[in-house]
Amino acid sequence: MSSKLAILFVAGVTALCAQETPLDNSVKINLPADSPLTLISTNLGESHVSQRGSAVVLDLDVALTLHNSSPNRVRGVTLLVAAQEVTPGGKASVSVPSLDVAPNQNFPVRINLRLLRPAQMRGGPLVQVNLDGVLFQDFSFYGPNRLDSRRTMTAWEMEAQRDRKYFKSILAAHGMDGLKQALLESLNRQAERPRLDVQVSRGRAVTSAAVGEHNLRFAFLRFPDEPVEPVDGWAEIAGNEARNPRIDVRNLSSRQVRSVEIDWIVTDRQGKQYMAGSVPASGPEFNLKAGSTSRVLQDTTLRLSRLSNDGGTPLTVAGMTGFVGQVEFADGTVWIPNRESLANAQLLGILEPSPEEQRLMDLYRKKGPKALADELNKF
Amino acid sequence: MTHPHQSILALYAGQDLGWFARRRTERHLARCRACRDEVEAFASARDNLIALNELPALSWSRLAIEMRANIRLGLAAGECVRGERTAGPLAGFGMLSNARAVAACASVMALVAAGLFLQRPAPTAPTAPAAALGEGSVLRATANGIELNQGGQTLSLLHVGCGDVTYSAGAQGSMRAGCVDSDTGNVTINNVYVQ
Repeated sequence: MSSKLAILFVAGVTALCAQETPLDNSVKINLPADSPLTLISTNLGESHVSQRGSAVVLDLDVALTLHNSSPNRVRGVTLLVAAQEVTPGGKASVSVPSLDVAPNQNFPVRINLRLLRPAQMRGGPLVQVNLDGVLFQDFSFYGPNRLDSRRTMTAWEMEAQRDRKYFKSILAAHGMDGLKQALLESLNRQAERPRLDVQVSRGRAVTSAAVGEHNLRFAFLRFPDEPVEPVDGWAEIAGNEARNPRIDVRNLSSRQVRSVEIDWIVTDRQGKQYMAGSVPASGPEFNLKAGSTSRVLQDTTLRLSRLSNDGGTPLTVAGMTGFVGQVEFADGTVWIPNRESLANAQLLGILEPSPEEQRLMDLYRKKGPKALADELNKF
Repeated sequence: MTHPHQSILALYAGQDLGWFARRRTERHLARCRACRDEVEAFASARDNLIALNELPALSWSRLAIEMRANIRLGLAAGECVRGERTAGPLAGFGMLSNARAVAACASVMALVAAGLFLQRPAPTAPTAPAAALGEGSVLRATANGIELNQGGQTLSLLHVGCGDVTYSAGAQGSMRAGCVDSDTGNVTINNVYVQ
C-alpha cells in the first residue's frame, strides 16, 4: 500500500514538474541609441517554458513592433539572434526583405525560436536580439553588419527590383491576362521544383564510408554580363555527401571584388538537377583585384537527400554545375544575374524564387491579379 | 468517370500537388464521394505519422553518457558482490550470493537494453541521424524550421503561420528558410549559422 502511495506521489511530482511555466525575462532586445529604428512594443504572445525529462524547452514567440524614425524608406531589416549559453558556436538571424516602410511608420517583425537545454542551466537573458542592419530605398545601410547582411539585403533588393520590372513589363505588354499567365507559370515552376533535404556540418564527417570517395569537377554556366567567371572547381564526393567545395574564379571587371557567391547545382544518376546550396567567399582573406584569380573554398560537408513521399532517399551525386549567383564590389554595389540569363540557362525551374517573387505570388494567390497589378504600380 | 490515381490523391492530401493538378483533382473530388473518402484516409494517415514523429526531445548524447555511467556503476557493484562472496559473511550462502549476482547481471542487461532502445535512430529523420555526421554541430531543416544541434542542445528558428517555405544551404555553414507571413504578407527569412 505504501509503495503504491509512493508511486502516486512520484507521478504527481513529475506531472507538476512537466507543467508549462510562463517565461520570465529571457529575451533582451538591443537597439543602438542612434538606430534608425525604435522599438515600440515586444509581445511574447504564446511563449512558454516546458520540461521534457532532464531538459527544458523554451518556445519563444516574439512579436516586435518597430518604428522607422529615419527620413528614408526602409527596404529591409536583419536582426541577429544569439543564444550563447545554449549553442555557443551558433547564431541565427531573422530578416524581413522586400519592405516598403515610409518614415514614421510602424512595422512588425516576428521571431519564433525554440531552445532545448539541460534543466540545471542557469544564467541571464537566454536570447539576445541585436540589430544587424537596415537597408534603405537608396541602398544606404545602417548597422554593424556582423552577418554580412548589407550584401545579402542589397542582393535581395536588386532581385526585387529585377522581378518587379519583369512582371511590370509583362503587364504593360500583355495586360492582365499576360500577368496572370506569368504568375501561373511562376506558381507551377515552384510547385514542380525538385527539392533536396540538405544537412550542413562544418569540417569533415567522421562516420561516412570512405569507399567510393572521389573528386568531382564542376561544370560551369556562364552569363554574358558576369563580372567574375568561374575557371575551375571541384568537391569531394562520397555517396550522398559533398565536401569541401573549391572553385577558382577570375575577376573580369575593372573593379575590385569584395565577395562572390557561386550557386551549386547537383545532378543525380537519372539526370535530374537540384539546387544544393551556394558557396560564398568574402572577408579580408578574399581579395579579388581587377583581372586577378582567387579561390572560393569552404570546409563544409553537405549531406543530400531527395525530398519525396517515401521519406527521402540519399542522393548520389553524379554531376555538379556552378554559376555566379552574386558579386559584391568593394564600393558595396552588387551584381546579380538578370532574369533573361536565368531563363536562357533554364535555371528558373531549379532556383528558389526571390523573396519578392514569393511575396508577389502570395499576393496573387490571396488577392488576385488586380491587387498584384496595383502593388506593381506602386513602385 | 475516370478516377485519379491513388498517388495523385495521396499527393493532394499532403498538399504536394502542383497548382493545375490540384485544381483538376479538386474538381473531381467535388463530385466523387469515393475519392473524397480516399483523400480523408490519406490525410488521417499523414496526421498519425506526424503525431508519431513528435517524439519527446531528448539529449541522446547525454543519455548515452548516463547509461555508460550506470553500466560502470553496475559492473563495479558486481565486483563488490563477488569480493564479498569469497571473503565476507555471505561466503557460506552460495544460493543467496548467486541470486545477487544474477540480479546485478539482469540490471546491467536491462540498462544495456534500455540504452540500445533509446539510442535507436529517431524516425523523424528522413536520412541518417544528424549526430552521425560528426562530433560537431549540425544544421538541418525540420518539419517546421531550421535546427542547429550542438551536443544535444538545440536552437531552432521556426516558421509559424507561413505558406510554402523555400530552403537553401550555404557552404560556409548556414541554412536559410524563406516564407511569406500569412498575417502581414511580409517575407520572413530565417537564417541559422554554424561555426
